[in-house]
This record gives sequence, structure tokens and C-alpha cells, in this order.
Amino acid sequence: MKETILLTKHMRDNPEDSHLIESYEKNNGYATARNTLLSSSPENILEEIKSSNIRGRGGAGFPTGVKWGFLAEDEDRYLVINADESEPGTFKDRILLERDPHQLIEGIIITCFSANIKEAFIYIRGEYAKPARRVQQAVEQAYEKGYLGKNIFGSEMDLDIVVHLGAGAYICGEETALLNSLEGRRGEPRLKPPYFPAVKGLYMKPTLVNNVETISSVPWIIEHGGEEYNKLGVEGSTGTRIFSLSGHVNNPGNYEIEMGSSFGEFVDTLGAGIRNNKKVKAYIPGGASAPWFRGDQLDIKMTIDDVANNNSMLGSGAVVMMDEDTNLVSAAKSIVSFFAHESCGQCTPCREGTTWLEMILDRIASGRGRTSDINLLLDVCDNISPGLSWPPKMTTICPLGPSAVSPITSLMNDFRDEVEDLIPTKVLL
Amino acid sequence: MSDKVHLNVNGLDIQSDPKKLLIEACEDSGIHIPRFCWHKRLDPVGMCRMCLVEIETPRGKMLVPSCTTEITDEMVVDTESDVVKKAQEGVLEFLLINHPLDCPICDKAGECPLQDQTMAYGPGESRFVEEKRHFEKPINISEIILLDRERCILCARCTRFSDEISGDPLIEFIQRGNKTEVNTFPNEPFRSYFSGNTVQICPVGALTSTSYRFKARPWDLKSTRSTCNGCTMGCSIELNSSQNKMLRILGVDNDSVNQGWLCDKGRYNFEYLNSEKRLKVPLKSVDNNFEESEIQDVYSELSEIIKDRKTKVNFFLGSNLTNEDYVAFREFSKSISDNEQSFYINDDLLYQGHFGQDNELAKIDDLNSSDAIVVWAEDLKEKLPVLYLRVRQAVKKGVKLIVFGHTNETLSDIADVFYGKETVSENFEIIKDVSKLKEIKDYVIDKNITAIIGKSTPQQSDASVSELFEFLKSNANTKILNAYTKGNTYGAFQTLENIKGTKDFVKDISSENTDLLFIVGADPVGRSFYSNEISGILQGLKTVVSLDLFIHETTELSNYVIPISSTLGEKDGTFTNIEFRTSRIDKLVPSPGQTVSDWEFITSLMNFAGLSSNLNSLEDLNNKAFEGIEDSSRPVFDNLDKPSNLDGIINTDTPTINTSENNLSQSLFYIGEKLYGDSVTERHSESISLLGSKKFIEVSQNIVDKFNLTYEKCSMTQDDLEVTVSYKVNNNLPDDLIYIPINRRDLNKFDFSREITVSPSRVKEGLNVN
Repeated sequence: MKETILLTKHMRDNPEDSHLIESYEKNNGYATARNTLLSSSPENILEEIKSSNIRGRGGAGFPTGVKWGFLAEDEDRYLVINADESEPGTFKDRILLERDPHQLIEGIIITCFSANIKEAFIYIRGEYAKPARRVQQAVEQAYEKGYLGKNIFGSEMDLDIVVHLGAGAYICGEETALLNSLEGRRGEPRLKPPYFPAVKGLYMKPTLVNNVETISSVPWIIEHGGEEYNKLGVEGSTGTRIFSLSGHVNNPGNYEIEMGSSFGEFVDTLGAGIRNNKKVKAYIPGGASAPWFRGDQLDIKMTIDDVANNNSMLGSGAVVMMDEDTNLVSAAKSIVSFFAHESCGQCTPCREGTTWLEMILDRIASGRGRTSDINLLLDVCDNISPGLSWPPKMTTICPLGPSAVSPITSLMNDFRDEVEDLIPTKVLL
Repeated sequence: MSDKVHLNVNGLDIQSDPKKLLIEACEDSGIHIPRFCWHKRLDPVGMCRMCLVEIETPRGKMLVPSCTTEITDEMVVDTESDVVKKAQEGVLEFLLINHPLDCPICDKAGECPLQDQTMAYGPGESRFVEEKRHFEKPINISEIILLDRERCILCARCTRFSDEISGDPLIEFIQRGNKTEVNTFPNEPFRSYFSGNTVQICPVGALTSTSYRFKARPWDLKSTRSTCNGCTMGCSIELNSSQNKMLRILGVDNDSVNQGWLCDKGRYNFEYLNSEKRLKVPLKSVDNNFEESEIQDVYSELSEIIKDRKTKVNFFLGSNLTNEDYVAFREFSKSISDNEQSFYINDDLLYQGHFGQDNELAKIDDLNSSDAIVVWAEDLKEKLPVLYLRVRQAVKKGVKLIVFGHTNETLSDIADVFYGKETVSENFEIIKDVSKLKEIKDYVIDKNITAIIGKSTPQQSDASVSELFEFLKSNANTKILNAYTKGNTYGAFQTLENIKGTKDFVKDISSENTDLLFIVGADPVGRSFYSNEISGILQGLKTVVSLDLFIHETTELSNYVIPISSTLGEKDGTFTNIEFRTSRIDKLVPSPGQTVSDWEFITSLMNFAGLSSNLNSLEDLNNKAFEGIEDSSRPVFDNLDKPSNLDGIINTDTPTINTSENNLSQSLFYIGEKLYGDSVTERHSESISLLGSKKFIEVSQNIVDKFNLTYEKCSMTQDDLEVTVSYKVNNNLPDDLIYIPINRRDLNKFDFSREITVSPSRVKEGLNVN
């Protein structure tokens, strides 16, 4: 299995200076945007995006063309790039921001041309200091060249980009919390309905919120045509995708591949297998929010639909391998702790429930569990995500609370013995 | 909006107006859905998740919060399914795991939504074995409010109130997740005029007020509905007492008036009722000393003076009387003299106003339906705080707001236009051609306007105020709220004739025309623009009879002081508000000692003096107060006590105000009043007594430079009088105008028609002199 290099081509070819505009332009950068603005139409661009069948790379996998089409009419509309990449295990946007920011800017220009938007925001997670500096520098360079601002490339189009740094909250990756944060409010998800970003988004105006990788794919799609992109990958999961592989593998890292091969093949070839030739006990197919797969499920295909059909999600493309020596209770606890720490505190079940789950798991992991804790754990989970089904039902505004439930249900469904083994049998309560 | 939306809730067909939230539609049909964060006067946030219900969707049944879900036609809802019950039980368990369960020592226990809903919907026992979340408890977030963050369930009602309703978001969520807490900003206490509302709407015992803490248990409380007489707004209130002591005042949701809200002064200015210093026996001045007297002796001595019907009697009436009290004085005056009598009421700003057939009077609700509101009056936030909230509400709905200076700066943050010193001179005259102001053209001309108009300061000429209103009247469809601000002024308007203010009192009254003066519930010597003059007049009169709650500067100059019961909770009657809405004043606690109601005193005196009257009961006075009004809308007790009339009955009226015009129009100072002052009742209400004690002035930077003011204090000197005050720089004021709050001690002793010298304070920095 080999990588298919589209988005990461420029950064691989020019590792020294891929983030600079000179290097980007030398490699034909901004040509697509220029051609688009001077000779294409918004409708054409939207058609290309639709025919590429690209689906959002942020996690939910919503068809991008459809999303653009939903944007309500208004004089003021905004594009917000979600660069708050915080899902544990995910580090793909980081390289796109840090090493090829102009590709993103070019994607933004084309997107705004298609959606008739005059102001775009790039919301970068607070911890991404270097990527943010690079993006800021790139935006400034683009302004100097006249690729941003008034009459871009001599066309009628005006566009401004604002780079904004978050303040260290995972929840701001949730699009409406991101918009709140961008407006200077507490980073808390908004109610949907009525605050769907496409209708009432940033400053209550129609807003397109797209992931970095999605928009970074736009220049290639427009340059080569949506049909060409559609040929890559498989039906329902077209194009390439950057997977962040981590955990107990020999070669962790970002890999740009066409979707469609199996997780096992991916790990064995590009990941060079599990370290020390161990077996996989379980793995996370799409970031910390995703329910786990067992080691005997490595033949599942890496497509949005295949993973979903197996009751998990491809999410943000973070694949985390856990070998046979892994203490899965500790692993689950560590993920639950993360969500408890990142809960915004709005909804009672998430605010109180995730911390409670953390406390119970901590007790079990440290050998102080009670037999009744297993049912308690599942019932608390059930009160956050009724039915413990997938996709999750929620008693909360956003899916953060239910995300903390996923590792526990995985643990209980497939590895219940491991939990029970940790509970001292003498103390039967 | 005749089209109703039909829903099926728990198998029952209900219908409701469209656009409603599911929780409201269910509530209207008698289906109660438990909730904590939802409050009908606040924007929904869907945070507590207690109100989850199941609705049927194309993708199957879904759990949704009923407080954020708008109803749709044919919606099928289940509020009692197993899934819903499980979710409710789950939410309650989550809320309780970190709740201290200190109900036995919590003021809220017994009227606590968390307690009640736990009983109704909660799990029976706790499964939480870990240590609960801890916070320091409780912390003072202001002089009058305490916050116990351990009890808090983070429903955001208080923070939303402060943000959406009162517009002073001094409390906010800080931290996140499990560590989230409500708190104030560093070094910025929750010093809001409306903070008490957050205590009332808190669904747990997290917010408590100093005045009620540990004083009673809800099941011991007696309560009654009444009307606040603190300003002309007339907010609906509920009085609570235990063991015959008034302990708490709550706001009642009167949709047309206060919508459940109160200002903190209205809410907390009641502790004086229980003060040891209350006057409880009549006093008589003998050789400049007060001696305790018997009420019978007072009656007989006074009846000796009046019974020949030749004694020249005058009345100076405060604004805290009930309509029935006013009527008693009216009838009394008729019985002792055939001449037409004037009634002086305790208002420095009384002027003719705009009533009568030519002028359309506004209702408070008109604020919401106008195109624009024009305000030129005393500072609404300081003087009519709940009207200020209603103006805010209207602006939030999109009504334009135009405000003229130099008062009402507090509205400038939401005003579309604030006409400051460029437009309004230091003499409070509009110095520009109003018709040429751009915003007036845009927002006012030919639009529907509600004007809130009144005098801003005693020295302002009446004409300047009237000119603005006349302009509005002829150029727009204008309704007016005459912004008299004091207590039951409108009750006096409705019941008395020939009404005059303090200015005329000073001009008219002398020993020539007055043998006997009754001063009722007023302290003009203690707090009036005309204090010095009034003090002089009183000293020259033969007999002055004061009826009051406490000894103060005015009663000191009286020959007789009659202890009276308070209009707040100690007597029955009626009150009329700024839109001529009359509602009940109700008695809850016994009046202490030998105190009597004003009307009781006067009718008894009439009987004693053998002056015939048909006034034998409060009901008689109540009937007399509203003669000539059609039976069905007469605000007499029988009518007001009907459930449909609890919010009051409106009968607009044309008062006979006979003030002499003020053409002075030369203001050296801008004399105003702050919400909190140091009136006798405030001084004797422990929890708020310090809020109005600080003496300060506001000046422009020009004054600071001119007098080389340093530190934070300065001295004001005139003749022998020297007062040290702190000063605040307010650059909205014209260069030479000094703002002086006259309801702060000593500041009223200056002669405001002459210069006052301002100089840097000789008091060293850091010394707190008040």
C-alpha cells in the first residue's frame, strides 16, 4: 500500500520553505485561484465540489458541496476555518497549517469566491503557536501580493482573512462553540435549533464552517476537476485523506492515502506493524470520541461508511493502536479524564456525569472498585447517552458528553473481563 | 394569529398559539414539565436538561429539551415516557451528587425547586460515594447578597438576569466543566440596583440576601399581595412575615408593570419596620423638649385649635400615603374651612405636567409597541428603576431610544442617541433646533412615540421641558408618561385638588396664612432642595403637627409628633401608579405601639372636634376616593379583590396641579437624587443602610483642573458650612455643572442659588471620611 500525494505534495517537495509564498508560487501556487477568479463562476466551482463528492474532514463527514449549498442568503456571510484541531490522536491539520498555509489560503479564496463571502476567519487552537505564526505570516504575504484585500488578482472580488487563536478549549472545535469563542464569549456550544451556522452563525449571520483539510483540498479539486477527485478512493469516501497514526506502531505519523484499504493493511505497511511484534488488542479508528474496535476487527475498511456500519466513526482520521499489553481500563480512564476536563459545563449530565465517570474508573483502575460499580458506570453512561447506542442519543446540547461514554461502552461490550478482574472479589457490595 | 397549533401531548390533544416553546404550551394546558434553568422572563438556554421530553421525528423518538423546542403543528410529545423519566431521574442525580444537601440549614428549604423536584422526579437514594465538590461558603458578592457556590446548580438564571434584564453583567460563569462556578470579577462586587431579583429566581439556596438569611422557614411565613410605594412605578409585591415581623418582599409577576422584577431598594427597604427607634407614642414639644403624651390629649388639644373653623390650616403631605389617607385629609380640610384649600406635596420637581384632553397619556406597555421612546426626565435608573428595566426591554425588542442629557446617562449604553452637553445646556435647556437633529428626523417625526418627560432638576425651567414635549406632540403620534417619581404622587393627583409642590410651599406659607400645619410622612428639612427655607418657615409657625415613623430633622421642628403605621405592610388601602393604575396596599403585620394610620388619626380628630363626617371606616374613604368613576372599573376594594383585577385597574384622570411656573432657568448645580440615600427609613434598614451613606459629587474634568482637585476628595464650602465629599469625574457633564445628590446627608444644607467653593480636600489621602 502506498500513499497518494495530493495535499502534502508541496510540503514534501519543498521541505525547507514550503510555508513561504515564493516557494508556493514557484510550484504553480495561486494559479488555480487566479484562474478561478478571472474565468470561472461561483456556480461552476460549486458544481466541481459537488461532483468531487468530498466529505468534511473535521469528523462528521458531511458532504461539503451540500453544506455550501445550504448557506442562507444574506449580504454578510462568513467563512470560518475550523483549525481548532484538538481531538486526541489527531495532528493532520497541524502539518497543513504549519507547512502549507498558502494552500489553505488559496482554498479559502476559491471557497469565498464560490460562496460570495468577503470575510473569512481561521480559528487556530491556542496550543498551535508555530502553525498560527506560519498562517499569520502567510496571510500577511498574501495581502502584500494583493491576493487578499481589495480586487484580488485584479478581479472584482474582495476578501479579508482574520487569524484568531483559541485559548485552549477542546470544545471550541465544536463549530458553534467556536463561533461563540470567536465572538469573544465563553466557548460553549449553541442550541441547534435555532443556531445552525448556515443560517445564524457568526454574529448571527450565515456562516460556513469547514475543516482545514477540507478547504486545503479545494485547490486540487478545482485544478484537476471534481471528476478526477471522485475517481480517487471509493464511493462515499472519495479522494485522499490524511490519517494520523499513533499508538503502539513502529512508524507513527501522518499518511495521505486514498480511502478504502483496511486498517490492518494500513498499519502493517505504512505503520510498519505493531512494535515488538505484539498483537493489537483494540484500536481507535477515528479519534478519542470514536468507539473502539477489537484487534480481530482490523479488516474493516477505512471509509466513512464502513466504519459507521461497524458502529464507530472515521471521525478526524486519528487511528490509535493499542497492543495486547495495554491496560484498557486505564486507557478508557485517560480518555474519560480528557472529556471531563474539557466539558464546557453547560449541560448537567456532561458537567457532572463525565467527572463522576472519571472518579468511578479511577477507583476501579486503582483496585478500589466495587462490584456494583460496573452497573453504576453503565447507568451513568446511560444517563448521558440514553440507550448507549451508536450514533449516540444525547441528553446534552453537544456530543462531548456522549463522547466520554464511547470508550466505556467499548470497554464493557468487548473487554468486560478486564474491568471485572480489577475489582477485588472479597469486597462484594 | 388566530391559527392555533395542535399538539398531542401524552395522548391528549392540546392547542396553543404558534411560536410558543413546548414547555410553555404544555404549562398553559396544565401539563407541568420540571425545569431549573428555564424562566419565562429570560431567554432559554437549555442547560439544566431537566425538561427533556420525547418527541416523534421522522427518525424515531427523540429526547429534546422542551424549553428550547418550538412547537409545530401535529407535534407528538411524550412527557412521561420511561425514557423521559429515566432522563429526569438522571439529571436530578447529577445535580445532587455535588449538592451539599444542607437543607436543614438552608433558607430555601421548603420553597426550593431542587428539593421539590427531587421529591417528585428524583431518585430515592444516592449512589455517589466520592467526596463532593467544595467551595468556600458562602461568599459576599455584594453588601447585600451572598453566594454559596456549593449549592449552586449552574442554571444561569442569575447571570442571564444580570446580562439580559438589568444590563449590568457583574456576575458570570468562570472556569469550565466540573469546576464551573458563578462569581464576580476581581475587585468588582455585584453592586447592581437589581441584584435581589437573582436571589428570588435562584432555584436553590445559592444566592441569599443578608436581610432574610436565617430569619425564617418558608412554612412559617405569612404572606399577602401588595403594591410597592417606593416610586410611582407601583410594582406588585408579595410581603412575607413571620411572628408578626416583616421579613421579606418578593416581586410578583404583574405583566403590565414589573413582570416580577423589583429594584433592591423596593425589596430591601423594609427592615425599618422592626426598628427599635420607631416612634411608638405621641410626642409633644414642651419648652423645646419632646415629652411623651397620650393620643387622647393630642386629639383634645388639636380639636380646641380647629373646632371654631377659623384656624388657618395647611397640609404638607409626603408621597407614602395611601389614596385613602389623602382622601381623609381632603375631607378634613373641607370640614374645617369653606375656602378652597391647597395641598402641598413633598416634591421639589412638581410642575404642571402634561395631562388633559389635549394630551394622550401612555401606558407602560406602550413602550414596547412604540417606534421610539424619548426620555428627558430624572435618571430613570435612580428614580424609577423598574421603568428603566421596561425601557431596556423595549429597546431589546427593537424600539429606538432617544435620550436627552444630562440625566439618564445610565441609558446611554442602549440609547440610539444620547444628546449630551452639545445639545443640552448647563441650564437644562435644549440649545439646538430639535427639528433639525438628524436622529429626530429619522426616528421621531411622524412615528409612534412614547415620551417619558419630567423635570430633571429643581432649577430647570418648566418651559424647557414643555417645549420638547410640544414639539413631539405636533410632529409625531406621541403619548406621554409624566415622569413624577415619588411614591403615591399619582394617588394624590387622583384624590386631591389644588396640588402644589415644595417650591410653592416655600413661596406661600408663612405665619400670616398658617396657624396650624400638618406635615405627613415627609422630611423636607432633611432632604429637599429648599431645606433651609422650609426650616425657617417651620420655626415661624405657631403649631406644627408631624405624622411620622421616626424622629428626624423635620419632626424636630414640630410641636406634636404622631407615630404612624407604615404604608408598607401595616395598613390597608390603595395606590395609584404612573399610568393611573390603582392596586391594593395590604396589611400583613400589626402596627407597633400606639401608632395609627394617617386616616385613622384624621378621622378620629374630626370626630373629636365634632366636625361631622360620614367617614367611619376605610371602606368609606376608599369609596370616596373614586367617586364619579363607572362602577365596574372603580378601583374600590371589592373590585380590586377580584382575581381578574389583582394587577390593578386603570382610570386615567386629569389632576389639578397648580404650581407656579419656574422661569428661573439658571442652574449652578445639577441637583439630583440617587436610588440610595440616607432617608430615615433607609438609615434604619440595616442591610441597605450603608449603601446611601457615601457623600460624593460628580464633576467634569474642567472642574478638577480649575480647582486643582487631588486625591479623591474635595471640600465644598459656603459661609460656615464645609462638607468633605469624594468626587467622580463625569465628562458628560457640561464644564461648569456640578452634580450633587441631594439625598445624601449634609449636601442639602447648601444654598444652591449661590456659589459653593470647591477646594482640594485637606484630609489626607487614605482617610475615609464620610
